[in-house]
Amino acid sequence: MATVVDSSNPKSDFPIQYRELNYLNCTKGWKSWFFTLDHKRIGIMYLIGVTVAFFLGGLFAVLLRTELLSPEKMFLSADGYNQMFTLHGAIMTFLVIIPGVPAAIGNIILPVMLGAKDVAFPRMNLGSFYLWMAGAAFFLAALALGGLDTGWTFYTPYSVTTGTAVRTALLGVFILGFSSIFTGLNFIVTIHTMRPPGMTWFKMPLFLWALYATALIQVLATPVLGITGLLLIVEKTFEIGIFDPRLGGDPVLFQHFFWFYSHPAVYVMILPAMGVISEVIAVHSRKHIFGYRFIAYSSIAIAVFGFLVWGHHMFVSGQSKVVAVVFSAITFSVSIPSAIKVFNWLTTMYKGSIRFTTAMCYALAFLFIFSIGGLTGLFLATLATDIHLHDTYFVVAHFHYVMMGSSLVGLFAAVHHWWPKMTGKMFNEFWGRIACLGVFLGFNLTFFPQFLLGTRGMPRRYYTYLPEFQNLHVMSTCGAYLLGLSSALMAATLIYSVYRGKLAPANPWGGASLEWQCSSPPPHNNFDHPPLAGDPYVMESVVYNEEIGGYVPVECQGANKGSVTASGDNEA
Amino acid sequence: MNTAATTTTDEHADSHDHEHHDPRLAHHFDSHQQQFDTGKLGIWIFLVTEVLFFSGLFGFYAVYRSLHPEVFLYASQFLDTTLGAANTVVLLFSSLTMAWGVRCAQLGQSRGLLVCLVTTLACAAIFLGVKSFEYTEKAHHHLLPGRAYQSPEHHDAAAHATAADGETAAAAKEAEAAEASVHGDHGDESLFEKTKHTLSYMTTVLWGVIVLSGIAFGLLFKNPNKKTLATIAGCVLVSAIGMQLGAFSSIGYHQLGHAEKPTDEEIELAETVPAEYAKQKEKIPEPMLARTFFSVYFCMTGVHAIHIIGGMIAISWLIVRTVHGAFTTYYFGAVDFVGLYWHLVDLIWIYLFPLLYLIN
Ligand code: HEM
Ligand SMILES: [Cu+2]
Repeated sequence: MATVVDSSNPKSDFPIQYRELNYLNCTKGWKSWFFTLDHKRIGIMYLIGVTVAFFLGGLFAVLLRTELLSPEKMFLSADGYNQMFTLHGAIMTFLVIIPGVPAAIGNIILPVMLGAKDVAFPRMNLGSFYLWMAGAAFFLAALALGGLDTGWTFYTPYSVTTGTAVRTALLGVFILGFSSIFTGLNFIVTIHTMRPPGMTWFKMPLFLWALYATALIQVLATPVLGITGLLLIVEKTFEIGIFDPRLGGDPVLFQHFFWFYSHPAVYVMILPAMGVISEVIAVHSRKHIFGYRFIAYSSIAIAVFGFLVWGHHMFVSGQSKVVAVVFSAITFSVSIPSAIKVFNWLTTMYKGSIRFTTAMCYALAFLFIFSIGGLTGLFLATLATDIHLHDTYFVVAHFHYVMMGSSLVGLFAAVHHWWPKMTGKMFNEFWGRIACLGVFLGFNLTFFPQFLLGTRGMPRRYYTYLPEFQNLHVMSTCGAYLLGLSSALMAATLIYSVYRGKLAPANPWGGASLEWQCSSPPPHNNFDHPPLAGDPYVMESVVYNEEIGGYVPVECQGANKGSVTASGDNEA
Repeated sequence: MNTAATTTTDEHADSHDHEHHDPRLAHHFDSHQQQFDTGKLGIWIFLVTEVLFFSGLFGFYAVYRSLHPEVFLYASQFLDTTLGAANTVVLLFSSLTMAWGVRCAQLGQSRGLLVCLVTTLACAAIFLGVKSFEYTEKAHHHLLPGRAYQSPEHHDAAAHATAADGETAAAAKEAEAAEASVHGDHGDESLFEKTKHTLSYMTTVLWGVIVLSGIAFGLLFKNPNKKTLATIAGCVLVSAIGMQLGAFSSIGYHQLGHAEKPTDEEIELAETVPAEYAKQKEKIPEPMLARTFFSVYFCMTGVHAIHIIGGMIAISWLIVRTVHGAFTTYYFGAVDFVGLYWHLVDLIWIYLFPLLYLIN
């Protein structure tokens, strides 16, 4: 296979495939990483952090599921169980899923997709990474200071009275909130002001639309979480009587504040994953995305509607009936834009030449799982059924289908799709697909039984249960083990490729958006000249080249036969 | 957005050239205009997040005011409208100087810019000085949030407390004990003396800061290599003087004869307004809820004061950069952005003042 470089060989018509000096090795030493302003390095650091947090949260999950193998106490006390599911939930939500796609993948890919040299505010970008680290440190401190047993929702009045480390954890949430706000702010500004010539709003890849919609939510919802957390800290410290009913406070007010953030936050989790799926399905089906504008607008619609439905978490908290009906109705309407996306993805695949690459396999898993997750949301949005299903395993299953099965599977798809770009290496497709299959089967085995448990009345957040539920619980636990092993296999496959993988060409899958035009991995400054952007979904604009092992622009094909090697980064 | 920023001429045709000739243009921007627009959009979005951050507090205010209007009516009596109004004027004036500073920066008048920024900083400090007097005074009246709160009508509070059920018995004892300790200085005079006494700790420290930073400024002023340090000392000096000014003028204002505690007649007068409230008159004041007002008051003004301090740091940073001649007619974004932030902080106060001080 030839590697192609242009600066040393002006005769070459191929785009540069590989540079010896790229963003990963252009400077060395730990300082060059910890003080870097390069969005790609910051993204890689996020990715590592998110992965570590994911395995920590996953470890808690496996322990929880193990306890649930039997209705008797195995090794966790009731209190221990409470603390463990709280930390599992808080870590997975705030440390893994929320920063997962936007902060890790988005940071690496967004500026390259825009043909820009960096995000608008590189220093703020690094700052938000350090805020993430600080938030994570507070979570660990909460763990060390006696845990946390309120559930990730911190509901008052219990959170005011419990003796566990609520304040430490809330400070962590507060800090993580600002990390998320700064990432969102950066992305909005970058997308507004740094698009390359030729890239109008409707020539933007859909991943960018999704990140844009996500960023809007991050900026508009997270401050409310920040102030709520702060008020709860103050309440707990000075007993000021905001949320504590003993002092004349209103505990339901906390729920309103909390869900005003946390419902939009579920779209912070899902929208970027949806953006990933739009890219992956189009590229690996080798077909122009179907209904571009509908997908773009539906992202914005989801972001807007997402702000108006928080009350559906509080149907049994004593809302007025009228309010409950209104929230229920608006919740139904949110599912419309989600469904629009699903239909467009399906239609994109129709008559496409689908390749079952690992990324595509994850995207297909997403489609399947998200459909179930979204549809079960409608059961919960229906007032009458929610009275029965609220606070049961049905809710647990619902949000795991959308958070784990969709958001995280979307992250996995993104990681596999852009792995060659991020690391410059190809991973082993065979093992990648095996891991994907394991994740898919393990996931459904874990959470499908939970729907059944929920409808039969198994309440959530209990360390014990009636004996008749045992079979389904054991199934669920087995699924969790399979899921854990498969995720480990996925991580192993990817990490192995960093050391032993083949060198990746610039455009291994045949994408038409800008990030595939720069070499893999990109040089420090991404592009020498702002590239000219066209329609990002015209898959015919690139063709496969045997010699290179990847796709090249049609104009270049056949023109050049010369083999050339890399000589370095012209930035150096 | 801004015409001044378009006057830039040094766009690099060859933008991947690593050696930017203009250190004022960050490497990932193509032009000053782009850099400026980016910053402008960024600061606006940041301000939106700030507004939302405060909206939580305003929401909390709205809920409690609609649930317990009588509490707000009763308790806002204890806030000093004159001091609040004075602070409003100070902040409004500082907004003017800030806006003027932005204008100076656009026109490249660095001396004018410096004067404006220093004035703004001083106003911010005066605001904090007055606020610290108000806080101290509230503390001595036990008008504090949460458990620290004590009814201004001490005997009533004791009666209430002893009548309360078992759950609040501990709190009642606490309150009684606290009351016993402050017994004897019920009079306005002695409370004012106490306030003054507590404030004297702050003013003494401030005198020390003024002297030290004054000396540092004097020593470093002439040394061209120590410009940054000298400017920082100067900013500290201005802030300390401003705070001192604020604190002493509030003390002076009180000394000129002022009842910081409403008389019974005043309270009664306030109570006559809503009929519903008048009916409850026998039961009021309900101390358990009156403290909610002070929770609101301290949370809102406290978060606002933190923003003032943040603004002072930002303005000081601008002053340092101005002294180094960083700003020119095509590079003044930072001044503009801090200015916008400052206006927002003022604006929030403009809402806080009537919502807290001018009830009734
Ligand atoms: C497609 C439309 C969706 C609808 C109609 C929907 C509806 C609902 C409803 C009504 C509840 C409240 C159930 C209850 O507590 O009784 C709920 C819970 C939840 N949903 Fe969804 N949902 C949707 C999509 C999503 C997505 C995309 C996510 C996240 C990525 C998500 C995450 C959650 C979470 C985390 C909870 C439970 C939170 C808790 O109580 O701990 N949902 N959903
Ligand atoms: Cu929701």
